[in-house]
Amino acid sequence: MENKTLNRRKFLQQVSLFSVGLTLVVPRFSISKAFASSPPVSRLVVVKGSNYGQITREAVATLGGMNQFVRSGDSVVIKPNIGWDRSVEQGANTHPLVVKALVEMVLEAGGSRVLVFDHTCNEKRRCYRNSGMEEVLGAMGRAVKLEHIDDRKFIPVDIEKGISLTRWDIYKEALLADCYINVPAAKHHGLSRLTLGLKNNMGVIGGNRGRLHHDLGQKLADLATVVKPQLTVVDATRMLMKNGPQGGRIKDVRKADTVVASADPVAADAYATTLFGLRPEEISSTVAAHKMGLGEMNLDRISVKERIL
Amino acid sequence: MTTRPHQASKRRYFGLKIARICSQTFFLGLFLFLFIKTDYTGYDTIEYAVNILFRIDPLLALCTMLAGKVIIALMAPALIILLISLIFGRGFCGWFCPVGTMLDAAHHLLGRRKMGNKPTRFPHLALIILLFIVVSSLLNFPVVGYLDPFSILVRAFSQSLYPAFNSLAVSFFSFTYESAPPAVNLVTEPLYSFLKQSVLPFEQKHYDLALLSFMMFAALFLLEFVQRRFFCRNICPLGALIGLVSRLSFLRVNGGDTDCGKCRHCSQICRMGAIDDDRNIGMGSCSLCMDCLEQCPRQIIGFKRSFLTPENNEISLSRRKFIGTLAAGAMVPPILNVRNTNYHERANLIRPPGAREEHDFLYRCVRCAECIQVCIGNALQPTFLQSGIEGIFTPRLVARTGYCEFNCTLCGQVCPTGAIKELTLEQKHRTKIGHAWFDKNVCLPYAKGIPCIVCEEHCPTPDKAIRFRLADVYDDQDRKVRVKQPYVVDSLCIGCGICETKCPVPGRSAIYITSAGEERDRDSFLPVSGEQGGGSEIY
Repeated sequence: MENKTLNRRKFLQQVSLFSVGLTLVVPRFSISKAFASSPPVSRLVVVKGSNYGQITREAVATLGGMNQFVRSGDSVVIKPNIGWDRSVEQGANTHPLVVKALVEMVLEAGGSRVLVFDHTCNEKRRCYRNSGMEEVLGAMGRAVKLEHIDDRKFIPVDIEKGISLTRWDIYKEALLADCYINVPAAKHHGLSRLTLGLKNNMGVIGGNRGRLHHDLGQKLADLATVVKPQLTVVDATRMLMKNGPQGGRIKDVRKADTVVASADPVAADAYATTLFGLRPEEISSTVAAHKMGLGEMNLDRISVKERIL
Repeated sequence: MTTRPHQASKRRYFGLKIARICSQTFFLGLFLFLFIKTDYTGYDTIEYAVNILFRIDPLLALCTMLAGKVIIALMAPALIILLISLIFGRGFCGWFCPVGTMLDAAHHLLGRRKMGNKPTRFPHLALIILLFIVVSSLLNFPVVGYLDPFSILVRAFSQSLYPAFNSLAVSFFSFTYESAPPAVNLVTEPLYSFLKQSVLPFEQKHYDLALLSFMMFAALFLLEFVQRRFFCRNICPLGALIGLVSRLSFLRVNGGDTDCGKCRHCSQICRMGAIDDDRNIGMGSCSLCMDCLEQCPRQIIGFKRSFLTPENNEISLSRRKFIGTLAAGAMVPPILNVRNTNYHERANLIRPPGAREEHDFLYRCVRCAECIQVCIGNALQPTFLQSGIEGIFTPRLVARTGYCEFNCTLCGQVCPTGAIKELTLEQKHRTKIGHAWFDKNVCLPYAKGIPCIVCEEHCPTPDKAIRFRLADVYDDQDRKVRVKQPYVVDSLCIGCGICETKCPVPGRSAIYITSAGEERDRDSFLPVSGEQGGGSEIY
């Protein structure tokens, strides 16, 4: 069956129908050419400074402002890393102030509803509490919701373009949002060496997630054909250099006071890799995603703007 | 002429009866409230004294102290109950005990108001059970938790009723979410989130002995068909103990006398079987429910006071029964000592962090399920026979179900007897409860050359106890591949079990926890090589 014509709108329709039980056909996601292609030069912004809210704002502003990604009335998902029962200083989760700044910008751009969540590895409540996320987001009003994963919202999705991963349960909210913003924490990871944007997408899927480890780079790239952030903001304010991804020792954390923002998820990962002194080619998910046409990994072809505040 | 004073006293006793029902309702509500609060609430310490029910229980206090041969300060509140019993007798059973309250409520719901008139079926049984439990506790056979009413109650709630309630709610609200029209969801979804925030547990939990826990509790209600408060009168060792003290109680109910005619209404309606044919009221049984006082047609029954003088109408064991029970209680423990407690059976018996040495642990553990209820990872499961017949319902970590959360110390906080010591977070981080072992025939990087190391990713010790090295191995197509193979650093692994929980291999995990090397057992150890020193000669 020719699926090229199946566009994003149709896919979203399928997701809605499936999730209310009106169809038993698993939603299929195949990307049309126009959707897959990235702009000729990927734009990326790097901002350094010790005021994390401010550097986050500056990064998005330099990229063209939140209006580029969010229109009035949009329902927005922000996906930080809140996977671990660790404190802010331990650097295992996204800094809550980075998330807070993004939420504020989304609301300023007219977003009607902001949903923040992560499929945690440690106990859900402990992660949300001790990451500082609950405290910061709880005070942001009714339009902002920090949600614990609700198992009813996972729906199976056929990943048409997937090479290694062809079907998996994905959190409905991430698929249905008008804008999906990925906010990974830049960290060391034993298997994949680093965990950045593409790895952070594992927080929107269900099932036996450990199975993704068996061909991690390709599977993350496959997942990225379906879970497509309009904006990626890599939180490198504190970088966990060792014993990642959950760390636990302050001496393994390097204070880097940096955020990286780009509309190109692959470019964001590629650049963030260099912060660790590694080359983009060393991260298999970056390589696989680039190969699938999901974004740019050649640093020469990424336009980088740097700011220091 | 006599109607007026009758009505006045009737009204007074009716008021007292209402007060009793209010008290029962209040304490049942308090119990349910504390039960629901036996959970993580966003803070590392439990806010309420959720285990208070077990700390005021004089039977548990007596038996754990006898078994452990120690004074357990945590259980001091039990003295208060004994003192109260010296004043108000078994008012505890009639006004406070949530099990009694539920049985009373069930009786009314069953619509069997007319029964209760039978004499207590096995009048000596509760005393025999009490005596047996006390003697065997003294001789180190700790079984008090099996029949203590609060243990039966909380076990049933924790391990079957509450999770089942949640399961029902989840099924219902999943159905409406997935299949009902949006208009219905406008009502059901807010209702569901309200229930989740108020009465439902945070997560669905699963327990090994769900059915057994439930059946023991359900049996109490089935026995109501035999006679009212069957359990309280015939079995409950706590009631029997309080009954012994109550014989000396200060406040007494004065039964009818020779003048009162022969209606015997009082003994017909007494739920505790406390009133004999001569209308004497035994304070070892009377729960001060106020029914007879209120209903006596001639309003003859009243209160009287007494000072530490028992009356001789109480039920007591014959010398033969007394000695027989003592002998039984004394015989069982030595016979159990003959069992071959092969050490290998203990490999799967991983106790919560802070648990005392196994014997001491069993002496103190009252099977109250508080730790199992509070365990946020659904890691603690009730043991069946892994620890012998004296270890049923004790908590053990089943790491394939759930793991011990690294930064959590709740189980030690809720343990009412100190069977699990309360640890500081720092102590907890260093407490070794077991050890992780790889099954290299199953572990993917070893067995099949497939990259994985999910265990390494989740290992919570800040200096990871699971690390990896690069190795060239052959995959199932006989191709040589280079993979990261995990290994355990003995000195860092604390046995939390997250590796076993998260291992993505289907079915049996490729990494598993045993109790080897657990800190609480001086005889347990991990083999060390000569380089690391310390007790290495024998290897």
